[in-house]
Amino acid sequence: MKLTEIAALASVPFLVASCIQKEEPNTECDIEAISLHLDRPTECFFHDYDTLQAVIPADSIITFNIRSYADVGLVPVTLRLTQGASAFLTKVGGGEEPFVNGSPVDLSEEKERRFRIVSEDKMWSRTYRLTVKHDKPSEGNLSFDFEEYELDASGKYYVWKACDVFTDGMWKNGNPGFKISKSSAQPMEYPSTPVAGGGPDGSACVKLETCDTGPFGKMVNMRLASGSMFNGIFDVSNALKDARKATLMGSPFTSKPEQMRVWVRYEPGSFFQDVAANPVEGIVDEPDIYVVLYRNEDPLGAKVQIDGDDVLTNPYIIGKGRLPHNYNADGSDKLSGTPIHGLTDQWQEITIPITYSEEPDETILKNKGYSLVFSIASSWQGGFFMGAVGSKLYIDKLRLFCD
Amino acid sequence: MKRIIYIFASLFFLTLSTEARQDSPSQEGKSEREASWQNWGPTAGLKSGGFIVRAGYVIGGTSPVPLPAEIRKINEFSPRGGISLGIDGYRMLSKRWGVSLGAHFFWEGFHTSADVKNYYVWLETEGEITKGYFTGTNVTNTQMWGVTLPLLVTFRVSPRWNINLGPYMSYYFKQTFTGEVYDNSDGVGYLREDTPVGNKILMTRENPTPYPDDFADHMVPLNVGIELGADWKALRHMNVFAKLDWGLTDIWSPSFEAISFRMYPIYGTIGVAYRY
Repeated sequence: MKLTEIAALASVPFLVASCIQKEEPNTECDIEAISLHLDRPTECFFHDYDTLQAVIPADSIITFNIRSYADVGLVPVTLRLTQGASAFLTKVGGGEEPFVNGSPVDLSEEKERRFRIVSEDKMWSRTYRLTVKHDKPSEGNLSFDFEEYELDASGKYYVWKACDVFTDGMWKNGNPGFKISKSSAQPMEYPSTPVAGGGPDGSACVKLETCDTGPFGKMVNMRLASGSMFNGIFDVSNALKDARKATLMGSPFTSKPEQMRVWVRYEPGSFFQDVAANPVEGIVDEPDIYVVLYRNEDPLGAKVQIDGDDVLTNPYIIGKGRLPHNYNADGSDKLSGTPIHGLTDQWQEITIPITYSEEPDETILKNKGYSLVFSIASSWQGGFFMGAVGSKLYIDKLRLFCD
Repeated sequence: MKRIIYIFASLFFLTLSTEARQDSPSQEGKSEREASWQNWGPTAGLKSGGFIVRAGYVIGGTSPVPLPAEIRKINEFSPRGGISLGIDGYRMLSKRWGVSLGAHFFWEGFHTSADVKNYYVWLETEGEITKGYFTGTNVTNTQMWGVTLPLLVTFRVSPRWNINLGPYMSYYFKQTFTGEVYDNSDGVGYLREDTPVGNKILMTRENPTPYPDDFADHMVPLNVGIELGADWKALRHMNVFAKLDWGLTDIWSPSFEAISFRMYPIYGTIGVAYRY
C-alpha cells in the first residue's frame, strides 16, 4: 500500500462529512398571505388595509368583511404561498383548476371558494376556504353568558362562541399554546375550561386557572400559563417565540363602550412564583380584567394591531377600564401582598367603568376605525410567566354597555 | 488544528523521501537496508514483541453517514476534549506482519451548529411528546469518556513505517449529548407539529428550545468499528502516529426515536508513542 493511498483513505471521513446532499423539494403548503384587488377598496371595505390579510399558519378559513350594503363580484386574488407550492381553485360546479395569481375569482354573495395548496414535493396539501362576508351591524351593547362551548377540532380543549363582533365569532385564549407544552393534558386540565352549572344562577360559567406548563414549558422558560379569555387572534405559531406577541388583541367596534359588568369570584394560588418558578414571599397573585378601545389605523392608513406587549400602553389607545391594582410611582405594576381588586371566593357582580383620554370620533366609529379589546386572566403577570399556579378566576354574565 | 495537520503531513512526506533514498538497488544498499529493518524493528530482532505507550490528540465527530439531505449547512464545528492515552502490546510474527492488542482511554467530543430543513424530531419529556419537522439551526454537543480496545494486524511497509488495521470495541464510561434548536441566520426557525401541514411553532435564539436532559440516557455504551493507523518510528523508542476509529454501530439505542437517523462516532487521533 502506497503512502499516498493511506493519505487518501484517511481523508475519506472528512470528505463524507463535508458532503452536503442536494436539497429536497419543500413539503409545506401554506397560504402565507392573501390579497384582493379593488380599484377603490374603501367602497367595499372599511380600511384600505382590509384587502390584504396575513394568514396565520393555524388558520384555514379566510374571511374578508365588507360593508353590509356592498358586494364584490369577480375580484382578482393574489396568494403568497410557501416556496414551490402551487394553488388549485375548486370550480363552482365541482373539480378544480390550477390557479394563477391575479386571476379573478367570483366572491359575490358570500360564496365560499376553496383553494387547495399542494406542496413542491406534491406529497402534502391543505385546503383553505375563502369567503367575503357582509358586516352585521352591531347595536352596541354586548352580552356574554359563556353557555355555548365545545371541544375544538383536535378534541383537546374547549372553545367558546362569542358574537359576530369578535374575530371569527369566537373567544380566544392560550389553550392552543398550552396544548404544545402539555400534550397529555385532558380537556378539563387546560387553563380555560367551562364549568357546567358553576355560574351564580346555576348556568355554565368559565373557570380560568393558572396552570403549570410541565417539563416542556420549563425547558423554554414558560413555566406557567394563566387562564385567559380575549377577543382577536391567537397566533399559536408565536406562542413559544414570543407569547405576548401571539395575542393579537381586539376586533373592530362601532360603538363607544361606557362600562363593563361581569360576575366574578377569585381564589389566588398558594404561592406566587417568578419566571424561574422560585416562590416570592409576600406577594399574592391577582386576576386581571380590562377593556380597551384603540384606533386601529395610523395616519398613513396602515393597520394598528396591539398585542399582549402593548395592550395597555399603545399610544393609539383612547379608552381603558381595568380592575384596580397597585402601581409603582412610575406607573409600572406593583406586586404586593395586599391586592385591591376586591374580588373574593364568593360570586359578585363588578362594574368596570371605561375612561377616555380622547373622545372617539363618530365617523371613525361608524367606519370601524376603532377596535375593542376584552381581556380576562387568572394571573395578571401571566404574560410574563409569573403568578401562582392554582389561581382560579370564575367569570360569567359579561356585559358591555355602550353610549 | 490545521497547523498540526500540516506538520504531521510534512513529517509524513519527509520520511517518504528518506525511505525512497534508502531503497537504492546496489548490493551495498541491500545490506544497508537489511540493517535498517533490524535497527528499526521490534526491540530485539525482527519477530519479537513489546509495548507501545501512546498519547494523542483526538478530533472528530459523531455523525450520520452519509449526511442526510435534511442537513443543509454546517455553520460551526469544534472539538471538545480530545485526549487519548493508551497502551498496545504487539508481536511481530514475521518481518512484515504482526498483531497488536491495546487499551486506549479517551475523552472525545465535539460541538456543531448546522442548518437543517425538515429534520424529523420526536421529543418525549416526562410523558409529554413533541414531534414533527424542524427547519432552522440545530446545535449539538457531545462528549464521551471511555476505553477503546483495538485488535489490529500490523503490516510493516518499510523499516520505519507500520500500518495497523483491525476491529475495535469501545466502552463508554460516560456520555453526554446536549443541544438546542432555534432560528437560523435568516430568522427561519420552526417546528411543523406531526406533519409538514401541522401546527407551525416558531422558535428563536432569544428563547432556544433545548433537547431534553435525558438524551444521553438513550446512548448505547458500546461501539464497534474499524481502526486504521500508521506509526512512524521517529527515534529508536519514539513513534509518531495517526489513527482513525470509524464506528460501525449506531450510538443510539434502537428504541430511541428522537433522532431519525443513525449516528456513528468517527474520530481521528494523532500523537506520539513510546515504544519498548
